[in-house]
Amino acid sequence: MADAVIIFDNVHKSYRNVKAVDGISFEVAPSTCFGLLGRNGAGKSTIMRLIYRKAERDRTPPGKVSVFGFDPERDELEIKCRSGVVPQEDNLDEELDVSQNLHVFAKLYGMPARRADARIAELLDFMELKEKARANIRELSGGMKRRLVIVRALLNEPRLLILDEPTTGLDPQVRHTIWDKLRQLKRNGLTILLTTHYMEEAFQLCDDVLIIESGKAVLRGNPKLLVAQHIEPYVLEMTDVNVAPAALASLAPGTARVEQSDESVRAYGKDYEALRAIADKLPPGNHHLRPSTLEDVFLKATGRTLDARQ
Amino acid sequence: MPVSELQPHPPSLGARLYSIWYRHMRVYTRNLISNGLPPFMEPVIFLLGIGLGLGRYIAAMDGLSYLVFLATALPVTSAMFTASYECTFATFVRLEFQKAYDGMVAAPVTVADLFVGELLWAGSKGFFFSGCVVLVMALFGALPLPAGLLAMPIGFLAGTTFGAISLLVTSYVRNINHFNFYFTGFLSPMFFFSGTFFPLDSLPRGLRPLAEILPLTHAVRLTRSLALSRFSPVLIADLAFLVIVTLLAGYLAIRRLRARIVV
Repeated sequence: MADAVIIFDNVHKSYRNVKAVDGISFEVAPSTCFGLLGRNGAGKSTIMRLIYRKAERDRTPPGKVSVFGFDPERDELEIKCRSGVVPQEDNLDEELDVSQNLHVFAKLYGMPARRADARIAELLDFMELKEKARANIRELSGGMKRRLVIVRALLNEPRLLILDEPTTGLDPQVRHTIWDKLRQLKRNGLTILLTTHYMEEAFQLCDDVLIIESGKAVLRGNPKLLVAQHIEPYVLEMTDVNVAPAALASLAPGTARVEQSDESVRAYGKDYEALRAIADKLPPGNHHLRPSTLEDVFLKATGRTLDARQ
Repeated sequence: MPVSELQPHPPSLGARLYSIWYRHMRVYTRNLISNGLPPFMEPVIFLLGIGLGLGRYIAAMDGLSYLVFLATALPVTSAMFTASYECTFATFVRLEFQKAYDGMVAAPVTVADLFVGELLWAGSKGFFFSGCVVLVMALFGALPLPAGLLAMPIGFLAGTTFGAISLLVTSYVRNINHFNFYFTGFLSPMFFFSGTFFPLDSLPRGLRPLAEILPLTHAVRLTRSLALSRFSPVLIADLAFLVIVTLLAGYLAIRRLRARIVV
């Protein structure tokens, strides 16, 4: 992909003894949304930091990072002036109000005053924050702060938007609003790189996802295709572990793949009717037959148990 | 909102440093009264308390009335304290509690820009604070004008010097309370033993070279000499000392702070 916006080629990043990024390679095409999925500590945020030199990759083994054709460790400013970053923490300037926060950033981007004023008004309107222009940062709700950080990231009309868990901790209304705004931006040509723990979010927004585990890539592809190709289409979830084994005993061997945790049993299969027949025999209220989702793919790829980094 | 077709380019170094400086200026001027009044109040209190009260018992010091002796040192001590607060507590809060620097480095600025801009701001505060002291002292007739105004550029330089030293201290500090060691262990003694309240000749002979290591000594000598139009070649050495300390401490501070921001 010659015109890829982001290229990672065998990139490594270590912190003391921990390998945060362990030989990651991927490419992000222009005007697409690319999602990085993985547990806490899997290396998602580190990958994002490597893009705008908030972190520096290991010298050995040699890896390559290219963003708009620039190496962040040589031309960080070229990359930053084309990108907007929404970090995981809302690191807004609490010593300034909403409008001043944005004006300071417009200055940092070297925007002329008149263009900055127009752009700030336009974006506050776009993110539905117009009434809050003179508010103090501490007066804002979590959702408003998040939207303000997105406004800040969009100030300089970036070609690349980097979002680290953009909707974590937000209510469904705000989340759906943000999704719509991001879709609109992508339609207009913006390239988006995002991390999320919400598989629904990745499924809704991303053209491509990369699932990471302990700094290594485990699965990559279009989320719809991943669901179609990497998991049985249906799952019967049972939250009564006492009745589940008996119910599943009547299934023909090979009909379902069973995953069990302490308090739940899931039977994955492609034969909907067979799973339906089991479900019908169970008492109602603590089972659910549904199509498989990206979350099922994710759990299958990365395992259900917790690891030390979480 | 279509993606811009303009070929973006990063701002120039001057524009980047100015934008950092602008950020600090906006924060400072947001509370104009609470931030702008103390720099005038402090010298007034000092003059009333020490200059007029204590000064009555002191005939002359170094051939000067005690009031003038004090007035020619205080502008630069004021610059020292304001720059030191700015680059310790305020910097630490931005670094550790607010994570403001993490936000700012996502914009097209480098970590070095961030702290050079901050030092220019510390210098500007030094300029302003020493200016306030000059004004008050001149009103009391303790400082001749316009020569006294030369204290202001020295205040700027001292602001960057103590800003740089303070940033270096901040780069080592993990707990905000540890700044107390710096203030009571370094800045306060320096405040007293740099020719501010009594001439260095009054120090025991063995301690005099020690006083020459203190940056404030050089800043005070520069201010006093310039304000009283007593020029001598020693002043060039004083100037060089301050510049070298600023560059050295600034360089080390930026290197160390960079390691805390770029991980």
